[in-house]
Amino acid sequence: MTLRLPLMALALASALGSLAGTARAAVAPMDLVGPMSEYKLYVSEKLQTLVADTRAFTDAVKAGDIEKAKALFAPARMSYEAIEPVAELFSDLDVSIDSRADDYEHGEQDPAFPGFHRIEYGLWAQNSAAGLGPVADKLMADVDELGKRIAELTFPPEKVVGGAAALMEEVAATKISGEEDRYSHTDLWDFQGNFDGSRKIFELFRPLVEKDDPAFVEKVEANFATLDKTLSKYKMGDGFETYEKLTDADRKILAGAVNTLAEDLSQLRGKLGLN
Amino acid sequence: MRERDSSGLGATPPTATSRRRILIGLGAAGGALTGGLVTGKAAAAEIESVTNAPISDKTQERQPFYGVRQSGIVTPRPAAGMVASFDVLAKTPADLVRLFQTLTERIAFLTQGGEPPSLDPKLPPSDNGILGPMVTPDNLTITASVGASLFDERFGLKDHKPKRLVQMMSFPNDALEVSLCHGDLSLQFSSNTPDTNIHALRDIVKKLPDLLLLRWKQEGSVPVMAATPGKPPESARNFLGFRDGSANPSPADADLMERIVWVQPDGDEPGWATHGSYQAVRIIRNFVERWDRTPLQEQQAIIGRHKATGAPMQGGSEHDVPDYASDPEGKTTPLDAHIRLANPRTHGSQANLILRRPFNYSNGVTKSGHLDQGLLFIAYQSDLEKGFITVQKRLAGEPLEEYIKPIGGGFFFTLPGAADERDFLGRSLLEAAGIAQPAN
Amino acid sequence: MKLAIVGAALLAIVAGIAFYVASQGAKRAATGTAENALTVTITDATCDPNEITVAAGPSTFTIVNNSSRTVEWEILDGVYVVEERENITPGLSRTLTTKLAPGDYDITCGLLSNPRGKLHVTPSAASAAEAAKPSMTAFIGPLAEYKVYLAIEAGRLVAATRQFADAVKAGDLELAKTLYAPARIPYGHIAPAAERFADLDTAINARAVYFEKLEDDAGFGGFHRLEHGLFAKSSTDSLAPVADKLLTDVILLQQRLRELQLAPETMAEGAARLLDRVADSAGSGDEDRYSRSDLSDIQAKLEGIRKVAALLQPLTEKADPALAGNLEAQFDATFTKLASFRQQDQYPSYDRLNAADRQAIADQLRALAAEIRKLNAALGLG
Repeated sequence: MTLRLPLMALALASALGSLAGTARAAVAPMDLVGPMSEYKLYVSEKLQTLVADTRAFTDAVKAGDIEKAKALFAPARMSYEAIEPVAELFSDLDVSIDSRADDYEHGEQDPAFPGFHRIEYGLWAQNSAAGLGPVADKLMADVDELGKRIAELTFPPEKVVGGAAALMEEVAATKISGEEDRYSHTDLWDFQGNFDGSRKIFELFRPLVEKDDPAFVEKVEANFATLDKTLSKYKMGDGFETYEKLTDADRKILAGAVNTLAEDLSQLRGKLGLN
Repeated sequence: MRERDSSGLGATPPTATSRRRILIGLGAAGGALTGGLVTGKAAAAEIESVTNAPISDKTQERQPFYGVRQSGIVTPRPAAGMVASFDVLAKTPADLVRLFQTLTERIAFLTQGGEPPSLDPKLPPSDNGILGPMVTPDNLTITASVGASLFDERFGLKDHKPKRLVQMMSFPNDALEVSLCHGDLSLQFSSNTPDTNIHALRDIVKKLPDLLLLRWKQEGSVPVMAATPGKPPESARNFLGFRDGSANPSPADADLMERIVWVQPDGDEPGWATHGSYQAVRIIRNFVERWDRTPLQEQQAIIGRHKATGAPMQGGSEHDVPDYASDPEGKTTPLDAHIRLANPRTHGSQANLILRRPFNYSNGVTKSGHLDQGLLFIAYQSDLEKGFITVQKRLAGEPLEEYIKPIGGGFFFTLPGAADERDFLGRSLLEAAGIAQPAN
Repeated sequence: MKLAIVGAALLAIVAGIAFYVASQGAKRAATGTAENALTVTITDATCDPNEITVAAGPSTFTIVNNSSRTVEWEILDGVYVVEERENITPGLSRTLTTKLAPGDYDITCGLLSNPRGKLHVTPSAASAAEAAKPSMTAFIGPLAEYKVYLAIEAGRLVAATRQFADAVKAGDLELAKTLYAPARIPYGHIAPAAERFADLDTAINARAVYFEKLEDDAGFGGFHRLEHGLFAKSSTDSLAPVADKLLTDVILLQQRLRELQLAPETMAEGAARLLDRVADSAGSGDEDRYSRSDLSDIQAKLEGIRKVAALLQPLTEKADPALAGNLEAQFDATFTKLASFRQQDQYPSYDRLNAADRQAIADQLRALAAEIRKLNAALGLG
């Protein structure tokens, strides 16, 4: 053993040093392996929760238990919202799990309107689970399929790192206005999922950026803290109040922090030497 | 009249007497006069005012209207454009004839310019007056096209529908808003200034209230450039900051235009459609904040060109043909780059060329506080399926989809031209359907 | 004890040499000698020469500033600065060594208002080969996946070992015997990475033949010690402390794997080394001498090795499609060979295989190892 370790360290160091190539960042590619594998483990955990929660939700829908289904809707979505950077890589599943009525020419009445929001429409806008059986079955099948595909996927590093910013872009452009869960108004749950997912990515790669740019890290952390602080004002039990309770002032605070995070986190890939 | 010196510049204000004379002479009420240039002969001298009309030397530019084919397709695209889509309210074939005849008269007048009739002031004026007492052409073209819905049961036109004209379908990345889609009739306005287009639209709307109802409209513009003598012209930029139109087929290539733009008499289209074209309009929102946060090299990889010069990824200049043959794995230009997907430059893809003539639009602010900006995409082709539809299908799944969202538009058929004063737009169609009598 | 240390040291030396050789190769590839040294003189108005052609690969430029101002010299790819030297004062020169990919570049010539020059980089044999090799960034994904795989399998190993150890300590001979081979499956899966920890490998997996007093040696422990007790002696007597230690060691292994910093070349290396060892023991039938569950063991290790190849496969396909094809073929042949021995969906005891059969397995494993040994070179990992 005494023979081996110094040799290993030396060989590793010289191998990495001479192979650093044209990376312009101070971060060596191999430094990203640890955080990447941690992220995959995080996503695997979230997926397990998502599968279990979706099963409970769709069972309630199929049993016609409207109150129970309503209670399970938003918690189930939190896990999905946290892993969106990876889930979105499978655009067919993303569409059938999470698309909105706007994406369909005939809106809510469009027979092709699927997934979480189709069920949301039935439960809240129509106060009925009638006809939602097949939609629920398809949602469960899609979530299972998503789990399988993600397990087999080698996560692309640039998509993971870029995912932190991408989550904030989504919230900034299409969610902060309350359009995502327009029937149930459970958007604040979704926000928490998005913020958690983005923050997780940032925390995993933070040590690699902190040395060179502690001011950047401080600014990003401060904005995440603002999001947490603002959203936590609306905590209710295990979840949140409806979006309608969000005051104009707080919505603007969230929007400001989210837009700034989108701007700052868009630097992350470059700082880590990724495309 | 109370004098107020609101110049605020600390300049010596004119004396009270002279100021009063100027105010009366101009008939103005309290207009602020800056600087000390004011004298009693003010009416004739240079009056500086922040609200003087900006001067243009292009207002007399004129595009022909009469011709075998309509203008506004191979006509060079000016700085301002608009597409307005209408529902046709006509109830009878005679109404339909009146619609097209009136439309033709108005377009002829507006594009050539002239003096609108002067009416008794007790009546509403005949012209909205935006351009002043004389209507100036300002390079205006107005191009009329008809939608698939016009060929329904209303006017007996069903059997005469152009073969490939369909209501615009939804593509995978679309989020179409029905209120921004389709229409019985589209009018494409393009001219040097937005006001010329607006003047023309208001004129047509005023003249045909019982026959046309506005459905949606989108205005747009393109950035102007200083002249670059001795250098090849550059394509105008879109709101992603990229040159848009680099590989557009050239109107100078007459054979190419015949093949890819104009419906020919020897094809399978109805005879009346000869000299017409298919028009694809798409209102495509751009997520500009997100785009502006994307690394430059990623922007270039997504589009497939260098941003500053418009050159293909292999280098050179904007008008160089991208070299894909020596890049089969997409290491220079990624295989899913926008321009490479749209036109992979194989032998077969020559059949799918389209003539693009887009404008950039900037509307309001979304509920999220983001900018509602994007591309008013307009393309002309002799075969809608081989043209726009094929190209759009190729683009499915492109990385650019993260940044764009088609929300409106429609498919239309651009009518053949009005040959002369006795002709009118749509006559060949209405004759074929037995609605209009052949002109003698 | 001596033999154990020798064995461990042997493993250490082998690994160390492999690493050293790999790193030397990598160093050689990157620091090539400057082949195309070219002088570019910047005057007040232009560059001389204004149009340069070099072959792809390392190039050295000497930039001489004969103008009256401090200038910088840049090689531009569109708007992207590939290389530059700034602050070259008048009268002085600077050297720029860079490795250029084939293509056409612009060069700035002094003042930004001066027209740009052109630099043509022509493809060379080396650049063509280089183009196929993946950059370091391309290995991040596969390595991260491998870490996750190791973490998951290590978790399974701990769970299975706990179950196995509980049965042993409870004195349930029959149950313990049925749990032996299944507990070794996750160990086989992680073997390409785990076997680098010589101390734990010895403690968990060493065979009696490495110890002076063989099966009676006090240092003989781990899986095979338990196997010996359960299958050769048909008893769980005095196995409780061995089972406890095995569980402790397996948990320690899980920890070490979590902290392990993998380098890309170690993936294929570990796989190839393991395959050679498996081939040896397949021929001699030495791995599971008492339970005769060698075929199950071999399959588990093969699956662990296949995981490594599968994770690298997208990169192998691009860098050397022929090798990728051969690997696929050899894996298929190897799994088929193993499966040919299955009877009613179960592997028979290894003593049912005669010498010719065992040799055939060993030969097939060696054929696979030969292909895997080509992986690192093909991927530009020295």
